[in-house]
Amino acid sequence: MNRRKVTVAVAAAGVVAGVAGLGVLAMPAGAGPAPALPQVDAQSLVESVLTAKPAAFGGTVDVNNSLGIPTIAGIPQLSDGASQIRMWTDGEGRARVSMPSGSSERTIVDDGETLWTWNSETQTVTKAPHGDAEPDAKPELGLGLGQDGKPLDPLSLARDVVGEVEKTSTVTVDGTARVANRSAYELVLTPKPTERTVLREVRIAVDSELRIPLRVAVLTNGTDEAAVQVGFSEITVGAQDAGLFRFTPSASAKVEEKKAEEPSEQDKAEAEKVFGQVAPQVVGDGWDSVIVAKLPADQLTGLQAPADEPGRSDRPRRGGADQTDPQALLKQLGKQVSGSWGNGTLISSKIGNVLLADDGRIALGAVPEQVLTEAIGQLK
Amino acid sequence: MTTAVATRAPLARQLRSELRWILRRPRTVIGLGLLCVVPVLAGVGLWFAVDNAGGPAGPGLAAIIAGNGLVLPIFTLFLSLPLLLPLVGAIWAADGLAGEANSGTLRGLMVAPVGRIRLLGVKAFGIATMSLFAVTLMAFVGTITGIALFGMDGMLTISGTTLSVGAAVGRIVLTILLVTFQMWAVAAVALAISACTEHPLVVMAATMAGLIVFAVLGAFSSLDWLQPYLITSAWDGLADVMRDPLPTEGLWNSTALAACYLVIGLSLAAIRLVTKDG
Repeated sequence: MNRRKVTVAVAAAGVVAGVAGLGVLAMPAGAGPAPALPQVDAQSLVESVLTAKPAAFGGTVDVNNSLGIPTIAGIPQLSDGASQIRMWTDGEGRARVSMPSGSSERTIVDDGETLWTWNSETQTVTKAPHGDAEPDAKPELGLGLGQDGKPLDPLSLARDVVGEVEKTSTVTVDGTARVANRSAYELVLTPKPTERTVLREVRIAVDSELRIPLRVAVLTNGTDEAAVQVGFSEITVGAQDAGLFRFTPSASAKVEEKKAEEPSEQDKAEAEKVFGQVAPQVVGDGWDSVIVAKLPADQLTGLQAPADEPGRSDRPRRGGADQTDPQALLKQLGKQVSGSWGNGTLISSKIGNVLLADDGRIALGAVPEQVLTEAIGQLK
Repeated sequence: MTTAVATRAPLARQLRSELRWILRRPRTVIGLGLLCVVPVLAGVGLWFAVDNAGGPAGPGLAAIIAGNGLVLPIFTLFLSLPLLLPLVGAIWAADGLAGEANSGTLRGLMVAPVGRIRLLGVKAFGIATMSLFAVTLMAFVGTITGIALFGMDGMLTISGTTLSVGAAVGRIVLTILLVTFQMWAVAAVALAISACTEHPLVVMAATMAGLIVFAVLGAFSSLDWLQPYLITSAWDGLADVMRDPLPTEGLWNSTALAACYLVIGLSLAAIRLVTKDG
């Protein structure tokens, strides 16, 4: 009798343990206490980020996206929700990036000479020679280093950048944080009160040792939850397996080769032509800069063409059935607005708005609707 | 005390006899036979799809099947995991306790000088072994079919890399273990239901209905907070075994989730069995 009671008690404890286990698994991993790090002022932190040497590391990046923009099929990393990116780099320009999606995956391998792109959905490999523009590893934060071939002193460039940013933002170091089990400084960029933007602040967690950004979060007005947060959930610093930076297409994969020289010239010319017609301008500066442009009315349909195919919008179009299609789609995505500037469609996301006027004018920026309509009004 | 020990049947003999009982049922043999047909059917279907389309044979893993026969066993196991394998596990769980209660043989076992926990252990062992056997059998038939239909030249992962044959076999074995463990979790819950009823059909119906409800709950985006608790929601992530380098975090997570269900199921079954009369 007694033994039965003991058994029941043990089994009941088992049920409780199982349920508790479910709870623990469902809980997001805690960040751990903020580490104690030596004080650093914002300016020298930014400078150290901009001048940091690329490091060798591999890790998993968690992307949490609640922008409220439409889903892009096959690339969950750009759509609302949580997704992951796995990446490895050897710090010498070779890198591998994997974008898993359900039971398929896109992989990009840059072996220093060739850029391989693999898409498991189509079992295709795209092979592109490494362009001359890219090899010296993209500088952190994507700042154009030595654009005109002029080698710039990294430190003075960093100073310039900080100075430029400080004109419109307050840059502060807001304590420390633990990201992917590494200690980091929280660098916070806040727009100056005069800036008319929908963004509240941008938080960048900078690794205290490597000085690389470990996590970037964009926060908008009126909510505590980040509109976009991209950050490492796991990172291993140190030399990575060299095999990761090689890619051998399998025998069964289709290999498409992209030649750098001849088509790219053509593409460039076409892109320039379109660019010249469109003539984008920037209205305002800093956080409330708005990009405005005017598309010729017959190219409006080209809006739906993927961005990497500028040639497509050059195709002659007759106002036919297919012209109404993208327009109807746009109207579904956005809401109709009108004002002294004209009529158009406003597509909103949490971090910004896009205004498409019916006459082909476009304005986009991380600003409220009113700023967009002011900017679009300046474009005739 | 000594006499009690002496009358206890040796554990090995009990386990062996349990397996013999399961294997002797015609439905077990027919079920295993049908499970072997699944990889063949899937393979032939994909073979036609590859031949006709010229492009990818389908979404997900099916897209890389051309010339990549070793993917077939993994594809088939993932195909069978949501319904077919839990159904088979539920049948064995239903026969184990509810079936014996229904035919009146459970009463004999309960009054026999065999601990009830040991009885549950023997039943769980029988289901676990049979699950592993069924999954391994499917993977084996899948491998043979895959090599025969699509050929074999290492294994192309969905990351685009090619694994050596040894590494590929490792991935297949890993898939067998992961899928079997998920099956155990479902079967443990089925065993708990089985301990509560005398009707085997109720066990099967309840298990399958539970899985379908889980799948439906997982489909609502407003119930996103529920996702991490649902065993079914972790199954899609098992496709990670086909990535290279192997990401282990998600696989550990889904296995830990299944372990929770396994512990809950077995504990509930134990409580019910111990408190059962006579």
